[in-house]
Amino acid sequence: MSQKKILIIDDEPDVAVYLETILSTNNYRAYASYDIKSAMEQVENIRPDLICLDIMMPQETGFSFYKRLRQKKEYDSIPVIIISGAIDNGEFEFRKYVSDESIIPPEFYLEKPVVVDDYLEKIKSLLN
Amino acid sequence: MGKQNIKNTVTQIDKNTKEQIYEELYQQVPFNVAVIDRNFNVVDANNNFTEYFGQWENKKCYDVYKKLKKPCADCPTGEVFKNGEPVVADSVGIDQHGRKTHYVAHVFPIHNKDNDKIDYVMEMTRTITETNRWQQEYQILFDRVPCYVTVIGEDYRIVRANEAFRSNFEDALGKHCYKVYKRRNSRCPNCPAAKTFKDGKVHRSNQIGIGKGNKEIHYQVSTSALMRGSGNVAHVIEISNDITELKRLENRVIEAQRLSAVGQTVAGLAHSIKNILMGLEGGKFIVSLGLTKNNNAMINQGWEMLERNFDKTTTLVKDFLSFSKGRLPELRLISPTDLIKEIVDLYKDIAAQSNINLCFEIDSNIKQAPLDPAGIHTCLTNLVSNAIDACLMAERKGTQVVIKAYEQGDKLIFEVIDDGSGIDYELKQKIFTTFFTTKGGGGTGLGLLTTRKIVQEHGGKILVDSKEGSGARFRMEFPRKRLFSLYREREV
Repeated sequence: MSQKKILIIDDEPDVAVYLETILSTNNYRAYASYDIKSAMEQVENIRPDLICLDIMMPQETGFSFYKRLRQKKEYDSIPVIIISGAIDNGEFEFRKYVSDESIIPPEFYLEKPVVVDDYLEKIKSLLN
Repeated sequence: MGKQNIKNTVTQIDKNTKEQIYEELYQQVPFNVAVIDRNFNVVDANNNFTEYFGQWENKKCYDVYKKLKKPCADCPTGEVFKNGEPVVADSVGIDQHGRKTHYVAHVFPIHNKDNDKIDYVMEMTRTITETNRWQQEYQILFDRVPCYVTVIGEDYRIVRANEAFRSNFEDALGKHCYKVYKRRNSRCPNCPAAKTFKDGKVHRSNQIGIGKGNKEIHYQVSTSALMRGSGNVAHVIEISNDITELKRLENRVIEAQRLSAVGQTVAGLAHSIKNILMGLEGGKFIVSLGLTKNNNAMINQGWEMLERNFDKTTTLVKDFLSFSKGRLPELRLISPTDLIKEIVDLYKDIAAQSNINLCFEIDSNIKQAPLDPAGIHTCLTNLVSNAIDACLMAERKGTQVVIKAYEQGDKLIFEVIDDGSGIDYELKQKIFTTFFTTKGGGGTGLGLLTTRKIVQEHGGKILVDSKEGSGARFRMEFPRKRLFSLYREREV
């Protein structure tokens, strides 16, 4: 069985490396992008099976990437987990930031710092 | 020849003509004239009197003048009959239309032919109602005007104080203004009244005084000269607006903004801490993995992550403390040139190592300014450090950072200009918001926020002008008037 490809988008390299290492030690193929521009290129190049996305990033926010992703038919079914420090106890008011009802919310939200088991469990549930 | 003619004319006036002249004088003199006998009967009066007080025949003087049924308590007429000496008195009566009237009465005795008895008195009254009304209106205006008004003499003693002043400050009359306004024992520095005594011009300033019950009173004072004939300023009138309430409201608005900023700041701080925690967790995870696998490369990688995130914690705490300091700028008269040279010295090696040309352009006529040296130093180091980062991000060789200082009208301008990576529109909207950083893990997002805070504390503003890919110009503007006003306030 081929390894599932997961793209991690976070402007904090240490965070990205951490999430990447967890995945690679659990038999996933992980990729990292530190900004939205290169993330979009990565999506086109590697066609990931799942995306872990940070929200608060300098040049463009995670929402801007998420909206573009969902608006492209070829990528609109890629599951997304939002991993951010802005999430409070797993709760996040998605509609406060993305009011367009045609854009469906992401599959999961995870608060930083992530609990490794929780992170892996969410990924597993989405990829199976 | 002429004199002769006049003399001749005078001698030609006969007794009848003379009586006619006296009668004419009696009628036309601009006074109300009445003749009163010992029983207070008005026995004669001129036309002015009749027009003013109305019909007087067969009436007592107190009835005509004051519409009373019995003689007045302080009757000047009775006094003249008694003492035989003229009397001048001011009094309040009622005219023929029932209006209250203020007048000055000159009362003269009219002796009999043998000059041994006073049969009548002549009472000449001049109304001062209008003058009195103006005086009263001015008094009301002086007392009730909603600001503090005092008149001070050359010895700085208060000679007049209005009601508002009297009710808010301690007893004032005869005391030194600095004692009453500020409980000082000597004249205040930058005293606006002293300036007015010196040049006769209007001077204004903001002051803080101590009122009754030791209440702090903030006021804006304006001093004007009260000139006397010679042109010397003998008195100065001080008119002050109480701005204590305004200051209180201003402080409340600042406090509300501060609380709102505290909310944003705490949320931003939590976000930054969570990222650092995640980096620490990551370092711990990778070190642990490296130990399990006996993989030195992994151990080193994890250890570096731990070190980096501990450093970030230190930087965040330092930046946060610096940002949270709610202090007023410690203004001192300093040279902007010296300050810029210090910054260039500080960064020249770092810039050179990255092949960045760091230089400065300072206007030759730049003057000293009241600035907080530490605060402006922080602002310039933040801006120069950002500019160097922007040059590094440009990934081009031969980039440049220029620090400029010049005067523009009333403003002192500092600029930090780079030809680095520049900032796009979306970014410009966010750069002054809490915890925003373009440096990923390298920044805390507090630098520009702290810079803006310091500039605003100096009464200035910070502007950014940039396009993505074509560098950036950060401009700090400090209006000199505002700087000096803050400087004086601090001195007071």
